[in-house]
Amino acid sequence: MMRHANYGLNAKRMTVFDWLNALFIICLMLTMIIPFLNVISLSLSSGVASMRPDIILFPKEFSLEGYRTIWNSLDLWRPFLNSTIVTVFGTLLHVLLSSLAGYVLIHPRVPGKRLMITFILITMMIPQEAVLIPLYVVNKDFHLINTLTVLVLSGLVSGFSILLMRNFFMSIPYEISESAKIDGAGDFWIFAAIYMRLATAGLATVTLFEFVGRWNMFTAPLIFINDSSKYTLQVALKAMIIDSSTSSSNYLITTNVKMAGIMIAILPLIVIYPFVQRFFMKGIMLGATKE
Amino acid sequence: MRAIRKYGVLYAMMLPVVIYFIIYGYYPLARGLQISFQDYKLMGERPYIGFANYAAVWHDPFFWKALGNTVVIGGGILVFGFVAPLVIALSLNEVMTAWFKKTAQMLLYIPHLLSWVVIGGMWIFLLSPDTGIVNLVLHKVAGIEPIHFLAESTWARWVMILVSTWKDMGYSCILFLAAIVSINPSLYEAARMDGATRWQLVRFVTLPQLKGTMKVIILLNTLGVLRIFDQVFVLRNPSTSSHVDVLMMYTFQKGIMEMQVGVGAAASFFVLVFTLILTLAVRTLTRFDEVE
Repeated sequence: MMRHANYGLNAKRMTVFDWLNALFIICLMLTMIIPFLNVISLSLSSGVASMRPDIILFPKEFSLEGYRTIWNSLDLWRPFLNSTIVTVFGTLLHVLLSSLAGYVLIHPRVPGKRLMITFILITMMIPQEAVLIPLYVVNKDFHLINTLTVLVLSGLVSGFSILLMRNFFMSIPYEISESAKIDGAGDFWIFAAIYMRLATAGLATVTLFEFVGRWNMFTAPLIFINDSSKYTLQVALKAMIIDSSTSSSNYLITTNVKMAGIMIAILPLIVIYPFVQRFFMKGIMLGATKE
Repeated sequence: MRAIRKYGVLYAMMLPVVIYFIIYGYYPLARGLQISFQDYKLMGERPYIGFANYAAVWHDPFFWKALGNTVVIGGGILVFGFVAPLVIALSLNEVMTAWFKKTAQMLLYIPHLLSWVVIGGMWIFLLSPDTGIVNLVLHKVAGIEPIHFLAESTWARWVMILVSTWKDMGYSCILFLAAIVSINPSLYEAARMDGATRWQLVRFVTLPQLKGTMKVIILLNTLGVLRIFDQVFVLRNPSTSSHVDVLMMYTFQKGIMEMQVGVGAAASFFVLVFTLILTLAVRTLTRFDEVE
């Protein structure tokens, strides 16, 4: 097996090409490592040190003042809370609704199944961007502008997740469902007690996809939210760290504070990254081959 | 009727999704079409004005400028976002040390997980002329005077293309690597029997076998071209806006900022039509539906 991986060449002998290739990859990795190291170090430096034109790859004059300032003085905790609420509720509902629909679509004999699949596929072909402005109007009609509800509602279901869940459910032998039905179990019970338990990998995949997507969601809050008390983390950060550097505000936000803001937005994603590693790859493959 | 009784629970389970898609998928599309033919005001009368909104967009030089920017920036992202991950995947595949390969993959994937606000905020800072690490290093190593990467229009476009490639290359790279792993080993075996060199194995076995994956990636990336928005919104500034504002930015400005909802809706439908044309063109060019 090992022979196939390296085309049968002697793994112990490194040729010039191998060295150059390794060097190329190391350079690539550095383009990832250096920017992040720079940002982390700046966020942990003092305000004065972070404003000096130095190449900083380690914290200079270590301090947590950046984090303290952005969290307390600039009230980043509120957008953080809003983002958390929207992400948690949105993700839970998304996973539940997509699973329900995915489960329905595994039954071979449900009348109207073709119609349902077509109905879902068409929604996948409508680019969300094309309905951005009508969505604003529709949400305005529903009096949902400036509420967190609208952020939970946007992208609440997606054809992609439904089909992904369906694929995971399909890998569970259908006989299980049939024999449970003979024992008198109802469809909802079979779904909740059998399928949801057996498709843990699928649930994890969709949950992670959705969690990342919602945490990073930017266009929807940008358009549907004007009230700054309802800002999500991404929108608040855009205003705090990007707009403040281009416009001349009377209040100077030092670099360490801005970088602390970026770190706070990254943190939840770093926490889940090990799980992402486990489930994303599989999900990406399923998604890409099924589209 | 019997079907409804027998499958009632299943239909009930499907119902929330159907309702949601009608309200938030189909209805806005219809509503958008209606608005695009109206002189839409937030209050009062909303008379139908025929194709006036479409004409307004068609005759607006900014719209064509935005289309041009989309083609240049989107095209750049398409090319770089395809070539870079392919080269990296092929290069990673030559690596024989498993942990090294895995670490590289893991690191390269990280930026794809982060939002454009985070990535944009980082790069605005990294590229800043006075304190950004890029200019500091350039100055120290090559003595180059600080470059205003985000304020000069030619640079700004390159920044859009390269930062986007940097952010998303790890994702496509994983798709390529997964496809390489699933190539039938006996193909390599046979090629080696014929005395193929390492380069020839890549050229005559790996690359042809990746054709299917290449098509998928090209198609997925093409669909993304007209959707570019977050990154431009984050990285743009008044001095470069005319060179980087893309179609979605135009739509957003008309429909939301200037509250010309009808014009914005009409612009959205142009984008929708462009998307359809582009998708069809790519499907035909790559013969996507061809059974291999």
